Order: sequence, then C-alpha cells, then structure tokens
Amino acid sequence: MSNETMALAIIFAFVIGTTIVGMIPGMNKKMSLEEWAVGGRSFGRWLNWFILAGEIYTAFAFLGGSGWAYARGGPTFYILGYGALAYIVGYYVLPAISPIGRKHGLMTQPDLVEHMYDSKWLGVLTAVVGVAFLLPYLQLQLTGLGLIIETCSYGLIPRVPAMLIAFTMVAAFVYLSGLKGVASTAVIKDVVMIVAVVFFGLWLPIHFFGSVGGMFEALDAAKPGFLALPGGTKTLDVSWAMSTLVLTSLGFYMWPHFSANSFSAKNPDVLRHNAIYLPLYQICLIFPMLIGFTALLVLTPALKVPDMAFMTIVQKVFPGWALGLVGGAGALACMIPAADLILSTSMLFTRNVYGRTIGQGSSHETQAKLAKALVLILTAVALALAIYAPSMLVNLLLTGYSGVTQFFPMIVLGLFWKRATKIGAYSGLIVGEFLVFYLVLNKLDPFAIAGLHLNAGFVALVCNFIVFTVVSLVTSTPATIDRKAKALG
Amino acid sequence: MNPVKVILTLIPFVWTIGMLPFVNTVKPIVFGLPFLAFWLCCTIPIAFICLSILYRMDSKNGQDS
Repeated sequence: MSNETMALAIIFAFVIGTTIVGMIPGMNKKMSLEEWAVGGRSFGRWLNWFILAGEIYTAFAFLGGSGWAYARGGPTFYILGYGALAYIVGYYVLPAISPIGRKHGLMTQPDLVEHMYDSKWLGVLTAVVGVAFLLPYLQLQLTGLGLIIETCSYGLIPRVPAMLIAFTMVAAFVYLSGLKGVASTAVIKDVVMIVAVVFFGLWLPIHFFGSVGGMFEALDAAKPGFLALPGGTKTLDVSWAMSTLVLTSLGFYMWPHFSANSFSAKNPDVLRHNAIYLPLYQICLIFPMLIGFTALLVLTPALKVPDMAFMTIVQKVFPGWALGLVGGAGALACMIPAADLILSTSMLFTRNVYGRTIGQGSSHETQAKLAKALVLILTAVALALAIYAPSMLVNLLLTGYSGVTQFFPMIVLGLFWKRATKIGAYSGLIVGEFLVFYLVLNKLDPFAIAGLHLNAGFVALVCNFIVFTVVSLVTSTPATIDRKAKALG
Repeated sequence: MNPVKVILTLIPFVWTIGMLPFVNTVKPIVFGLPFLAFWLCCTIPIAFICLSILYRMDSKNGQDS
C-alpha cells in the first residue's frame, strides 16, 4: 500500500471505530433533549473529569501549540501557565453554579444569567454572544481536521475537499452519538493523543539533537532570544503575556460549553475534586511545542502554514503508517471537541434564542428537531469561515477568549456580589463586547499603551469590569438585592 | 475568609503572572527547558499542591453537607 493510502486508511479506521463506540451509550433507549445535551445530569467523578479534559485538549493543543512554537517561539509558553490558573478560578466558580442549576433546572449559561438577573433578554443576549464566539472555536477544530487530512494524503487531497471531508465526519459523529458519546469517546481520544504527543515530543528532539536540552541549545544558538518573550514577534512581550494570562485564566470557564458540564456534574464535590487533578494534565501541552521547535530547526524550506509543523515533520521522518496513527489521534482531538461545541452551540440557540423569542411555548419535540437541524447549519458556517477566512489556530482561540471572557464580571460577580444588577450587567457586557469587536477588527490587538502591549480582550475586560461595578452600585436598591439573594438561594 | 485559603489561592497567580517580568530569559536551561518554559511548567505542580490543600480544608469543613 502506498504511504497516503495507508495514512488515510488508518485515520478513517480511527474515526469510524470511535463513532461506533460513541453510539453505544445511546443505543438502548431513545434520548430526550436533556439527555442528548446535558447527559441527564448523571456524570460521576471520572467521566466528568474525562469530558472536561477531553474538551481542553483539542486541535489547538495538538496543532496550534506546535504551530505557534514554530512561528513565534517564546510567547507560546503562556499556554503552559493559564490552564493551571484557570482551574483555581474554576474551583470557586463551578461549585457555586452547580447547585443553583440543579435546583432551578438550568441547563445552559444563558439560563443561569437569565435566572440570576431575572431578565429574559439578558439571557438572549448572552446566548447570541456565546454562539458568535463559539464559531471561531469550532472553525479551529474543522481547520485542524482539514490540515490533518491534507497532510496525510501527501497533498493529493487539496485544502477545500479536505475540509469537506472533515465537515462530513464531524456532522456524522454528532448525529450518531450526542453528549454521552462525546464523554465515552473522549477517553479513547485522550489516551491516543497523550501517547502520540509524548512519543513524538521526546523522540524527535532526541533523534536530531541527542536530547531535549540539546535541541533548545541548538535553537538558542541559531536564533538568540527566540525562546524568551517576545520571541519571533515584535509585540508579544512580557506585558502581552501577563495580560493574556489574566484574560485566559479568567475566561476559561466562561466558554458556554464548560458551563453545560458544571450542570451535568452529580454534585459540587465532583467539580472541586476534578479541579485538583486537571492541572496535571496540562503538562502534556509542552510536547507539541517540542515538536514545533524541532520542526523549525529541521524543516527546510520554511512552512507556509505553521500549524502544519507537527504533521509535516512526522510525514518527512516517518513512514505512512506512523503518520496515519498521528493523524488518527489528531483527527479525534479535533472531532470530539468539535462535536461537543456543536452540541452546546445548537443547544444555546434552540433553547435560549429560539425558545425564548419566536419559538416561545414550542414543544420539546420541535426544539429537539431544530437542535438537530442546527448541527448541520453551524458546521456549515464554521466550514465556510475555515475556507474563506483562515487564520492561525492560536489567533482563532484568542479571539474567542476575548469575547467569552466578557461574561466574567456578569457571571462571577453575579454569583458572589449581592449588589450586581441587571442594568450593570447589560452595560458592562455591551461595553466589553463592543471594545473586543472594535479592537480586533481594527487590528489593534495587542493594544499599545504607555509602552505596553496589552491583549485587546484584557483591555475590554478592564473597561467592562469598571462599567459593571459602577452602574451596579448606582442602580442597586434594597429590592434588587433581595431578589438576587432569593435567586441564588 | 480564611487567610490561609486566600494565600493558597494567590500563590499560583503570583508565581505565574506576577513573577513573569523577572523570569523572561532563555538561560539557564533547567531540565532541558529554557528558563521561562521551566518556570511556567512549575505552575502546574504548584497549582496542584495548592488546590489539594484547599480541597482538604474544604472537605473537613463539610462544604457539601
């Protein structure tokens, strides 16, 4: 068998095998909307841990980490820090959300916002913003999957058909499994992915340079300063890294699909217990970087698409079957998180936009039908974005982060601060999102001020926070405080 | 709020974000990693230890009962 047939055959075997495993939990009974989307609120400790970990280690960790290491150097290391900090934030926030969700039958992040502020339209706005920023994240997964198929076919399948294949695989997986399928297959994905990144992350530098340290010494000699901030860039300096770490560690649990998981946990203790062990998983993020750095030293000519660094170096050094194994692991790392994102996004739209506006009072069956139709629509939108507006994977992730982190003051202060008001939440959110759009669209990210280069999302978050606090202080009354206390009780 | 818990919560943030201006250097290479990467990797065990202690303290206080 030729290399490309071998590689592609292995990838499809992985994908089909995983899809079959994903179908098993849903086979015995017909799933309700709640079961399809929140997993029936019955996930125990380990399953919940795997589903959380499964969402974190995505196409971005696999391909984006190595791509940024290849192209930018030092700034990539921020990725090592933020996850661990995010879990500390989550340790406090998630257990506070989970009992409210259980008591009042909340299933999504906009449900929570609507409930806390007693405002239907604030919930709708949260849902619309959430959907808007989940799309770049979904685009990231589809782009990753497309890149994998393209490389594994040794260029025989060009970019656009590769994306179409990726689209078909993801949509089929979502239809056939649902959230329980995502959880059970996340275990397979995590295992193959860890084996692949650890093996190649250690083998490649050792093969070419004798050791990991040897590889870094060689890189430092060839490109002095590349491995510190700002590395291969002009603006991604210490102030950028500090502001990005603040933004991403606070924003981590503001992704709408992560709230869905805190609603699916059995009790707050599961969430607290998970928070302890999740940081350990984070160490795996360094291996793709080692591959990216080795690729930078070894691959000539330079790559046009840095996100292909991982796949390209494996393709150059190993036979087709090994590329197929990496591609298979990578395909799962893109497909399973993509499936989860699509489920969360279609749920947000059906329940919190359609169900609260034009579709008020529509039956569960109608909503379930719409949710399933949306799977196709959302995947198609992300596919169109991936083809017509490509961008580096880390950039897509950071844009999404800037957007969803604007929920932080509204949700977290809303949970812990009695004086937070609806008008404060509206004002802060609108100011924050407006600034994110304005700064990102005008290419003002990072934002230069007083010799610093701040992450645009961080600048927006600071303004959002100030507006939220001031307006809440001005508009809160004994009546609003009383209502809030009841909503949280 | 218990001051021990506040300190345990803050340590990883100070380590990772607060110290960043002082650790932005390639040399010395520690355990094969550039110094900045090594420093940021340390966030992971530090967060694990701080969270383990926090979890123990909270379980003892019967947070979930």
